[in-house]
Amino acid sequence: MALPEIISGHVWKLGDHVNTDLLHPPSHFSLDEKRMKEGIVEGILRLGAGVKGDSSDEGWIIVAGENFGCGSSRETSVRGLSVFGVKGVVAVSFARIFMRSLINLGIPVFESGEIQGCVKDGDLIRISLKKGWIESPDSRRFPFSAIDPHLKKILEAGGLVSYLRSEKHGV
Amino acid sequence: MGKGYTGEIIERHRDGRKEGEYLSAQVDFVLLHDPTFALLLPELKESGEEIWDRDKVLLTVDHFAPPSSIERANIVKEVLSFAAEKKLPHLSVYQGICHQLLVEGPWLKPGMLVLGADSHTVTGGALGCLATGMGSTDILYALITGGTWLKPPEAVRIDLREKLPPYLMGKDVILDLLGRYGEGGFLYQAMEFYDMDEAIPMDDRFAICNMVVEGGAKNGLFLPDRVTENYLMERDGHLEKSKDWLERGFKYSRKIEMDLSSLKPKIALPHSPAQVIDAEEIRDEAIDQVFIGSCTGGRLRDIELTAKLLRGRKVARGVNLLITPASQRIYKKAIEKGYFSAIIEAGGVVLNPSCGPCGGIDKGILGREEKCLSTSNRNFKGRMGDPSSKVFLSSPLTAAASALAGRIVDPREVM
Ligand code: SF4
Repeated sequence: MALPEIISGHVWKLGDHVNTDLLHPPSHFSLDEKRMKEGIVEGILRLGAGVKGDSSDEGWIIVAGENFGCGSSRETSVRGLSVFGVKGVVAVSFARIFMRSLINLGIPVFESGEIQGCVKDGDLIRISLKKGWIESPDSRRFPFSAIDPHLKKILEAGGLVSYLRSEKHGV
Repeated sequence: MGKGYTGEIIERHRDGRKEGEYLSAQVDFVLLHDPTFALLLPELKESGEEIWDRDKVLLTVDHFAPPSSIERANIVKEVLSFAAEKKLPHLSVYQGICHQLLVEGPWLKPGMLVLGADSHTVTGGALGCLATGMGSTDILYALITGGTWLKPPEAVRIDLREKLPPYLMGKDVILDLLGRYGEGGFLYQAMEFYDMDEAIPMDDRFAICNMVVEGGAKNGLFLPDRVTENYLMERDGHLEKSKDWLERGFKYSRKIEMDLSSLKPKIALPHSPAQVIDAEEIRDEAIDQVFIGSCTGGRLRDIELTAKLLRGRKVARGVNLLITPASQRIYKKAIEKGYFSAIIEAGGVVLNPSCGPCGGIDKGILGREEKCLSTSNRNFKGRMGDPSSKVFLSSPLTAAASALAGRIVDPREVM
């Protein structure tokens, strides 16, 4: 599965050190996708975020600050984001387990320190994976750090499970 | 550029493959627990693949232990039926918290590469190995292939000098570091501790390594020394020594010096483990609950110091003191040594070994605007209950002292 050349979505803005317990409260742990999504909706409430607790047709792109996703390794937070319609995550920096889990589940991550101050909740932004820019609604373009070739390979496979399948069986 | 002992461990586990900055490495041991294993179970079954080496896997049921809802009971049931079907040799049901069970068992040794489906797997680094947590999908990969992809972290050397004074514990050491360097202060780095005077008890080392992840570190470890040696001798009845015991010539990108004798008891304020002040600076902070437990603060020395402080005294009115031993083994020892009689007589309540109140999983969940002083590792908003509740973090000694006082105090006030 090739990655789309352009990802677009509405901005869901978050600050520094947003932890996974806030994003997806541990009390909402469940294997049920619907309940995982409810966890994200509860997280949005607790974060006092500007997005409404519902999906949009375009999907969401999170634009966060430093050390995004610190705390628990529970993948329910990432799966919840995926069910909620998050198509990509931009942050100044990521907590390592969270970043790995996003990639493993096929959600591209972008490290960029400049766009944070220039977009607000709900803005429609576009990201070109190939050309390496993130575009704000007023057509300004911001660069992001190059994605590591290993992580890119996992993303291009569609996640770690497919990467493993192709590594083992060549399909 | 220095990768420390961690870099050396990765180097020894490499299988030669490299993609970008990531190296493929063989793992020595994998830790799993009920909720995070349940998350990877459907994919594991669907893949039709087998676990690469069942002898190198510990599966615990410690979060939903025992389950407190029908949904959780069904999750545990699934996990247990898989373990029975595959005849997993190391299965531990309701015996304690995974990170404690992992270091009590005969598996971890210095120089190993250990992964766990839980962020606090870093605890195992106290035994001189590279232990780190990952999400369920990464662990699924390791379970099937016996390997993982790692980006070697930069290493920070932390020299600890002098002995811990009687009012301080390992928890104060790590809270001090988190307070000074922040929640992202060690992002993607290895924290390597040198106990220069070989004076920090192993239980305190576990508490220190447990919380390195709160500073963003990939792993934390204590260079193996005589404390490690004694622990392994007592645990296994014998010792396999390697040259790691003496090797000290590793390179580091940063160095931190700490004089333990000059530290003061610390408190992390709500809602960040890195928002740290001295306990003596806190005035009139009344608390509703004190929780002594979790994979950070429910070990034998934690319970011992609690019991010694509480003996013959009473917990303040209006404070609920909950104690959760980190494992059945600790539970039994604490009973034998009379620690729990002292705690119960003082008014404390002893819960079964499990995660329990720590992640707001069950028992001891906080209500609206309640305040709790906890020996656990995270005081994130809403983690222990109602989003308006507040959690402070401290050492078990400070927690016990505060339970007596009914408000947060420096333990020296009541010692
Ligand atoms: S005790 Fe708390 S931090 Fe430790 S494994 Fe259990 S829930 Fe996680």
